Amino acid sequence: MSSSDLIEIVIASGKGGVGKSTIAASLAIILRNSGYRVIAVDADAEAPNLHLVLGINRWDRVLEYREGRIGFIRDDKCIHCGYCYDSCAFSAIEEKSGRYVINPWICEGCYTCSFVCPVKAISFKYNVLAGYIKIAYNTPYKFPLVSSELKPGRPNSGKLVTEAKNLGRTISGGKGLIIVDAAAGIGCQVIASLAGSHLALLVAEPTPASFSDLKRIHKLTKHFGIPSALIINMYNINNDLVGRIIEYARKENIELLGLLPYDYSVPKSMAMKKPVIHAYPSSEIAKSIIEVCNKLLTLLKDWENWRLKHIPEKIEPFIPVIIKPKELG
Amino acid sequence: MKRIIQISITGGKGGTGKSFVATNLAILLAKKHDLLLADLDLEAPNDHVLLGIDKLHSKEDIKIFLPFIDYKKCTLCGICAKICDTGAIFMPPKNPPIVFPRLCSGCKACYYACPYGAITEGGHVIAYSYLTIIRKFNVSFKLLTGILRPGEEHIPPGLSIIKRKARELAKEILLIDTGAGAGSSISIALQYSDLVIAVTEPTPLGLHDLESILKIVNGLGYRAWVIINRYGLGPIDDHLKIMKMYGVEKYFKIPYSMDAIKSYIQGIPIVAYNPDSIVSKSFYDIYQVLEDEIL
Repeated sequence: MSSSDLIEIVIASGKGGVGKSTIAASLAIILRNSGYRVIAVDADAEAPNLHLVLGINRWDRVLEYREGRIGFIRDDKCIHCGYCYDSCAFSAIEEKSGRYVINPWICEGCYTCSFVCPVKAISFKYNVLAGYIKIAYNTPYKFPLVSSELKPGRPNSGKLVTEAKNLGRTISGGKGLIIVDAAAGIGCQVIASLAGSHLALLVAEPTPASFSDLKRIHKLTKHFGIPSALIINMYNINNDLVGRIIEYARKENIELLGLLPYDYSVPKSMAMKKPVIHAYPSSEIAKSIIEVCNKLLTLLKDWENWRLKHIPEKIEPFIPVIIKPKELG
Repeated sequence: MKRIIQISITGGKGGTGKSFVATNLAILLAKKHDLLLADLDLEAPNDHVLLGIDKLHSKEDIKIFLPFIDYKKCTLCGICAKICDTGAIFMPPKNPPIVFPRLCSGCKACYYACPYGAITEGGHVIAYSYLTIIRKFNVSFKLLTGILRPGEEHIPPGLSIIKRKARELAKEILLIDTGAGAGSSISIALQYSDLVIAVTEPTPLGLHDLESILKIVNGLGYRAWVIINRYGLGPIDDHLKIMKMYGVEKYFKIPYSMDAIKSYIQGIPIVAYNPDSIVSKSFYDIYQVLEDEIL
């Protein structure tokens, strides 16, 4: 499939709570109503909220996601040597009143402890239920939603996100738009969200914390060579910083799609479990979201040109910092 | 063994006010106690930003294990590639294994699994830690900040090193600020807590993610309190039900107020920026209950 048949738009921000899901929900609806095939993917597996913003509470399919193992120590065999405790890179082994126990909320099941145990006291539970992928094909908005949901305390949410995204791609049949609502942060989930995507829609609020995280997430989109666009949310809480963020975007060749005001309609619509553009269509924020979408639609119509103009000029290579055995000392 | 008290601030959903609560409580706690604030949100560390600190000090590399293959000893048996869960070791046909550092979680299973001792220990810097003395707002405390190198993705082993460091450095109170989410890295940050304070907001989103975090805290067997931030923004009836279900001992409300946003923008915690604000008053209440019941 050529890239212009299917465009994956990832909504990311680094900082949490700046409005990713609110924007993703409204954007998906407007783009669908403009004639695009749309698939929404909730890629925030540790805090999946897009279905709540859209008011979706019925799933057509729920797939189990099984991944990893959990170790446990057999008390009758353990000789309390503590080798396992010292070897675990995840600090999953705890000493509790003279016994060593594996914390199941941390353990990834990597086997290291079982290798160092001199008496083979460690066994594993396999094929652990680590989460779900939930699919709503028939939503009131005429686009499907694929939601990833990690079981609390399980590792590797990034792998689950990749699976959810792949499912979204399959459902799309290689056509249309995939709107990916990414997690906060810049870790494995966000990397999985960005991998193979075409456009990063960054969301920032004019606070020092959000600006700092915006720079970190943008560094990541540059690693991946993904062109970026920016939405500044709650712009009117701090006009001073808005100017500095716009200046940063200009310098970094990030297209500014628009500014959204701080608007009480957003939390009110959340409580109603309705996207704000439906709950309060005449609110300031709804109008601004429509403006932002119009700008996005223009961009998508001229996609190939826009992409060439905004692709990061020089892809920041990711160079891991490696220490050779000799240098480790 | 020294006895430190670990209080961990978490919440599940991003942007509910974890760092806001952590920095304000840090200032109040530091008045009477020796305090270490550990910012364990490696992906988006913001405590120093909220404290208005431009420069962090005492940078250290956070190194995790990385396998190096000793080609003289390697017999091409392929066991290392089989044992690796993260796909970091690739075994081309009839050729020695190739290691992809970025995919490696540093678990060291390959090192132990190799029957020929052909794997030697190297390292891989996945994050940095900083230790900064904060002397501001008429108090003094230490801030330990963990920062992930953008592009790295295996947070748990790096986090676990920084967490250990925090436990070693803390003398009296260790206040931990976790990242968003409810996966295993949050469990690592919460591990050994004497008290977990989950910060949520009165929205269905806050509620949903509060439940995820309470499942972990419950499973870990730690005491839990809840702070409902931006109280007034929406109903909290369902929050209260969930809290009861998971045995939350206490909850506090921080009222929704522009005062909080103003202080947040300034990079000055509200208890210092606007001590008379109703928001600051909620922090004094929380602090007093902490003092009476935990410290």
